[in-house]
Amino acid sequence: MEEYKVLQPFKYFNDHISVNVRPDGRKFDQQRSIKLNANSVNTADASSLIKCGKTSVVCGISLELATPKAEEPDNGFLVTNVELLPLCSSKFKPGPPSDYAQVVNNTVNDILKNSKCIDLKDLCIVSDKLAWVLYCDIACLEYDGSIIDACLATLMTSLKTLSLPHVIYDIETEEIKVDVNIRHPLKVTGLPVATSFVIYQSPDSNVALMDPTSFEEEMCGGNGANLVVCWNQGLLCGIHKFGGATLGTDGHKKLLNVAKERSKTIEEVINTCIANETSE
Amino acid sequence: MPLDYRRFNGPEDSVSYKQFSTNFTRSYDELFKGLFDENGKRIDGREFTEARPLYTKTNVISQAKGSAYVELKNTKVVCSVFDPREIVGHQNEYSIYGQIYCEVKFAPFSCPRRRRGLAPDTDERALSANFKTAIQTAIQSTKFRNFQMDVFVYILEHDGACLAAAINAACLALTDAVVPMMDIFSARTAAVINNQIFVDPTEAEENLALMPTDNETNHGIITLTVIDHLRNITDLQQIGSIDADCLIKVIDILLEECAKLMPLFKDLIIDNVFEQYKEHQVYLSIKKQVNEELSNKVKEWTLIVKDK
Amino acid sequence: MVEEDLKDFKLKPMKCELNFLNKSDGSAILAQGETVVLVSVNGPLDIKSTSQNMEKATLEVIFSSKGGKPTVSDRFKENVIRQTCETAIFGCLYPRTGITITIQELEDYGGLLPTTINCTCLALLNSGLAMRHVVAAVGCALDEAGNLIIDPTNDQIQTATATMYFVFDSREKNLVTGFSTGTFGEGVYDEALERCRAASDLVFNFYRDIVASYCNVIG
Repeated sequence: MEEYKVLQPFKYFNDHISVNVRPDGRKFDQQRSIKLNANSVNTADASSLIKCGKTSVVCGISLELATPKAEEPDNGFLVTNVELLPLCSSKFKPGPPSDYAQVVNNTVNDILKNSKCIDLKDLCIVSDKLAWVLYCDIACLEYDGSIIDACLATLMTSLKTLSLPHVIYDIETEEIKVDVNIRHPLKVTGLPVATSFVIYQSPDSNVALMDPTSFEEEMCGGNGANLVVCWNQGLLCGIHKFGGATLGTDGHKKLLNVAKERSKTIEEVINTCIANETSE
Repeated sequence: MPLDYRRFNGPEDSVSYKQFSTNFTRSYDELFKGLFDENGKRIDGREFTEARPLYTKTNVISQAKGSAYVELKNTKVVCSVFDPREIVGHQNEYSIYGQIYCEVKFAPFSCPRRRRGLAPDTDERALSANFKTAIQTAIQSTKFRNFQMDVFVYILEHDGACLAAAINAACLALTDAVVPMMDIFSARTAAVINNQIFVDPTEAEENLALMPTDNETNHGIITLTVIDHLRNITDLQQIGSIDADCLIKVIDILLEECAKLMPLFKDLIIDNVFEQYKEHQVYLSIKKQVNEELSNKVKEWTLIVKDK
Repeated sequence: MVEEDLKDFKLKPMKCELNFLNKSDGSAILAQGETVVLVSVNGPLDIKSTSQNMEKATLEVIFSSKGGKPTVSDRFKENVIRQTCETAIFGCLYPRTGITITIQELEDYGGLLPTTINCTCLALLNSGLAMRHVVAAVGCALDEAGNLIIDPTNDQIQTATATMYFVFDSREKNLVTGFSTGTFGEGVYDEALERCRAASDLVFNFYRDIVASYCNVIG
């Protein structure tokens, strides 16, 4: 079987799809098992690790202080960066981020901004003088498809467990004092959940596969997921479709509903994880 | 520093909030006192010559040929090794040695004092170079001539002795990837502060060991890598100011500590071999079954064809 | 119903010139409202062996913004355009070659990416590369009162709670590419999709007019 997969990948894949099963035995709209853990890295101010099947992503948030921009004196900063390390797959080479890494980075950042779950005004301490900078660094340790889903889930878990230390700012002397023992949790409204699909153009009809693996992504065009649907508690906060095969209107609607159902599951997973974390 | 166009950048003047907390502005003596508990032991309850327990797990990254995760209490390191690949761009030059490419990276959130940048800095480059010298002697690079093998290390959390943890992880990852090697190797770190030797230091101890002091006492960090059976020291890294007598003393202690790691590694490797053997047996039995079924089908069909 | 709607739709005035650059294989300059983009297409060309694909042509998209400094979102735009063009171009006719699409942003007054996609499509038509279908990009915005505005102006985009952009193919009118900003409900999304699908006819008609008028020049 392994030899067949290596020598004839397209035929191998098509043979599976034509009998309505995916190479790893899942149904078309079935997701992989998820493991989520919060605050596993002690040096970060908030962190979490997610494992969706064989994709694992770790997110750590570092807090820093800076002067707000002159044009937006009441806003803090939220800087997210996704790193696709060469360590996680032989697809990625060492050096500066590839075009694909930048696309993933931009998509995650767009979804976070569009969902408006963090109000940048909350990050401001003293207008025009001092504001928080949230560096959210997401690193992929294992790459096996659906990277955007995993990145967003771990990012949201980290943000939800984040608390900001108390800051005393003396306006006259411009002296800053930080009391790390008093911490206020960060206000996070909503919980965006992304779901990736690939659309496979089989000879009979086009089928959509949820939560694709890296192999499935390769078979359906080769550049990550074809469709990313992002739900934020009953509202859509981003639909990104990147070329690839097309689906009719009905098929498209069905996918939106599948993604909606999944977003509820993921939401539950994240909330349970955070509840477990705080009770410990 | 030039602006990175390939990533999102934060404001230029941002500083970690930890610099403004009361813990940050302590003097040397205060910090030194902070290393000990009331019984004169180290703050985590260890003796001075006691190393932290090592937790290891292999085959953690499914996409890599071989991988390992190593944990020294709070120091967490992942390492992955990939298949040898052809060297692009130097096709005309034939080399009898295979090349090894090593990269050690810190996660931006891994350091307790400040956030690290995403682009590789000088620390990381120096660490990568050291890491490479430590591991390349053990690898039989003549077995993959003209090819390049990649070894990547990612430090998720830094609490001292990163280089040693990375080298230990590399040893396990390389054996997991079945790379031809002379023998397995291991590494340990020790810090010297005020003439006192701290085996397997934490980040706080390392920080103090490198802090400049007025009095002329020994201080510094030493990392030692040794190949097990040959008792070869492949790499000795020493930073700071330490006199020869003290250095020899430290080397003796570290050699002993490195040797202590060996049974642990061997157990893990043997376990892995057993498991893989079992898996292979299962695979073979399935293959046999499938082949039998197929040959039966073929027989059936040939009969049908003959009948016709 | 769709027929009826079509009369109400008004897209921003489009102006286009093909063969704007005489050294490239195909080029087009397109103005949609006040947003102006220049695209040149070169290909099929010889490329280095490492990036050659045995099955189909390799597409390379280079986007340069007006400021000239590259950003992460430029790479995202390049990706959107490349993936869209990959479905439109009959790449398997040109295996082991490269097709380079170079885009220069000239003026951005809202709706840059749809204009870029439309302009790229026109440049591809001009280049004479074999294509499966043409593509048309249409944008719409959701204002605070909850009304949908097709092909919004810059002011409307700035005040909108959400904007959605869709790219349709000319054969089945299926959704090829889509991207959005802001949050919106499912119903709004469906309505926007249908309206834009209907409005894409105007863009396809525009393509026909342009190509017809240039036909005479070339013929």
